[in-house]
Amino acid sequence: MSDRAATALYQPDLVVVEAVTDETPDTRTYRLRFRDPERAAAFTFRAGQFGEYSVFGAGESTFCIASPPTRAGYLECTVKAAGKVTGSLRQVDIGDLLGFRGPYGNAFPVEEWEGRDLVFIAGGIGLAPVRCLIWNVLDLRERYGDVTIVYGARSVADLVYKRELEEWAARDDVRLVTTVDPGGETPDWRGEVGYVTPVVERAAPRAEGAVAVLCGPPIVVKLTLPVLAKLGFADEAVYTTLENRMKCGVGKCGRCNIGSVYVCKDGPVFTAAQLKALPQDY
Amino acid sequence: MNGRAADSGHDRAADGVATQSAAPRRVLLLTHDGLATLVEELATADAAAVAPAWAGGAGRAAGAPGAPRETEYRAVTGAAELAFGGRLPRLSLKQFFLPPTEVLFTWRRTAGDVELTAAPTDVPARVVLGARPCDAAALPIVDRVMNWDYADELWNARRAATTVFSLACGVEDESCFCSAVFLEPAATRGSDGSLTPVDGGYLVETFSDKGEAFVAAHADRFAEPPAGAAGDELRAQAEAFRAAARERVAANLRLDHDRVRDWLEHHFDDPFWATLGPRCNGCGVCSSVCPTCHCFDIVDEPESVGHGVRRRNWDTCQACVFTLHASGHNPRADQNARYRQRVEHKFLVYPTRFGDVLCTGCGRCSRACPTGQDLSEVLAAIDGLSRSGAGPDTGGAGRSHGAEGAAS
Repeated sequence: MSDRAATALYQPDLVVVEAVTDETPDTRTYRLRFRDPERAAAFTFRAGQFGEYSVFGAGESTFCIASPPTRAGYLECTVKAAGKVTGSLRQVDIGDLLGFRGPYGNAFPVEEWEGRDLVFIAGGIGLAPVRCLIWNVLDLRERYGDVTIVYGARSVADLVYKRELEEWAARDDVRLVTTVDPGGETPDWRGEVGYVTPVVERAAPRAEGAVAVLCGPPIVVKLTLPVLAKLGFADEAVYTTLENRMKCGVGKCGRCNIGSVYVCKDGPVFTAAQLKALPQDY
Repeated sequence: MNGRAADSGHDRAADGVATQSAAPRRVLLLTHDGLATLVEELATADAAAVAPAWAGGAGRAAGAPGAPRETEYRAVTGAAELAFGGRLPRLSLKQFFLPPTEVLFTWRRTAGDVELTAAPTDVPARVVLGARPCDAAALPIVDRVMNWDYADELWNARRAATTVFSLACGVEDESCFCSAVFLEPAATRGSDGSLTPVDGGYLVETFSDKGEAFVAAHADRFAEPPAGAAGDELRAQAEAFRAAARERVAANLRLDHDRVRDWLEHHFDDPFWATLGPRCNGCGVCSSVCPTCHCFDIVDEPESVGHGVRRRNWDTCQACVFTLHASGHNPRADQNARYRQRVEHKFLVYPTRFGDVLCTGCGRCSRACPTGQDLSEVLAAIDGLSRSGAGPDTGGAGRSHGAEGAAS
């Protein structure tokens, strides 16, 4: 592949599927490793960045990198089967070759957060970008203050990263609150029952000197932002990610802009203060 | 990752908004016979010039009796094909730099392996003769997007391989508004050289190394302008042609860009937008004919079991699926929002990120629109709203993109 550099911008690197984990009936996590050992060794990224993932023959799709940058040698994405590419990913097996372009976009300023309390709030598959961040922080645990995680899904079956939720629940340096929507609980469910927003309000994490990260379906983000404000979180201390449709990932194909802001170049990480200054085009 | 592509000195010079027409490096004369020989010579050398040419064969050229013949940019082999001074070509020059569809790479799956083969970027050197100045000017405008932190190698390879000579424009019709977007009918932005009609042929001016190299390589076809009064007369003819065209287009549209931009920034939810969507059927022909619209889609096209191509195709923000999420959520849910995006991208987003505007005033979108949506009318309306101060009542819903938060 000596000619690879000729169109490097849109031509992905080949990645080998190392593991496939069922998260929910329609969501899987794929662990990928660059086939080229040199590329694997040189690859770095920051929590919050995204990539363009290829299934050759089906096309390319945009997902955040769900594994933490503190664990080198592989990257993971967690994907819900919804469209053509995500549907094709269901057919992918261990050992198959996919494509990856990235990392693209900005990142969570985790270094700036050192010494502060962190509150992670996620709904549904919105836990993927937050999970990257959680492990990033837990792998450097001594650098951060209290860690609170509030995670909700429609039903017990829809909770992703179930083994990791157990792991976090077992740690005494993490406060984990899980919840499922009313009617989504099972007889042996021991978490909360209720929507994410009121559960956050009840959990009432201390806002003073803390940073909150909020990712999930637009409705969860929309409803929870005012609750965080009520709890005392400044808009500058609340972070989220936007998930606009993208093709190129590098500011050229022209579809992810919100006003003059390009999600691919200026995002996907934004503060609530930045969101408030954007037109309602997302 | 990918380095920022270095601008050529010429492009940098042309990037200044105030630079409508650069000072020529060389001034030469190209007679009609010289042009005819040049075109044939290039075709013989397997480097046929791209030029405005009479469109199609007998079938397509006919049209209504007495109607002006359609033209198109294409590789020409003889002077009889040249449509210098004819109508504005249907499509802009964009197709020669960003083709409507192109292969990015091919993939082939073999036992346990996938092989990717990049699309070739060894574009043969070529020349465009007689580009409309509004089409040439679009090239450095799109260059900025194609080199925004990441270099688009395919676009850049075609740009580097192409020498562009524009032809001073006599102004097409009332849809033209180049003079309202920092250009003029004889603008030289994006041109390596230019031709201006004079008695017996064209006054040729060069503005870049590429332009100079081209005239040097075909020196026998170009002559020094005559000395003394005869030379002055030719220069006066060229200036008279330019001045007449400038005057012709000037009345079509005037814009106060600062005010337009400010209005756009603070009237995202203005009721004005709801008056435009109903007239737009979302066909996107405005994007196809536009020299500066560059949005694209990336899709896989299986050729058979186990091999296929990844393509880049022209796309349009006017299509309802353009921003549709897999979840079914669509940030731009109606045509009002999609038409607003086209206007905002050109006159607010691009200006904010790159300077000037993403429009060269060619007027093609207005002429091509099947429902008669006219961008110059829309811009004039926005310019009017921006001057009226209050504009239509924003009902307190107008939001600012800026730090000020909600608009008044």
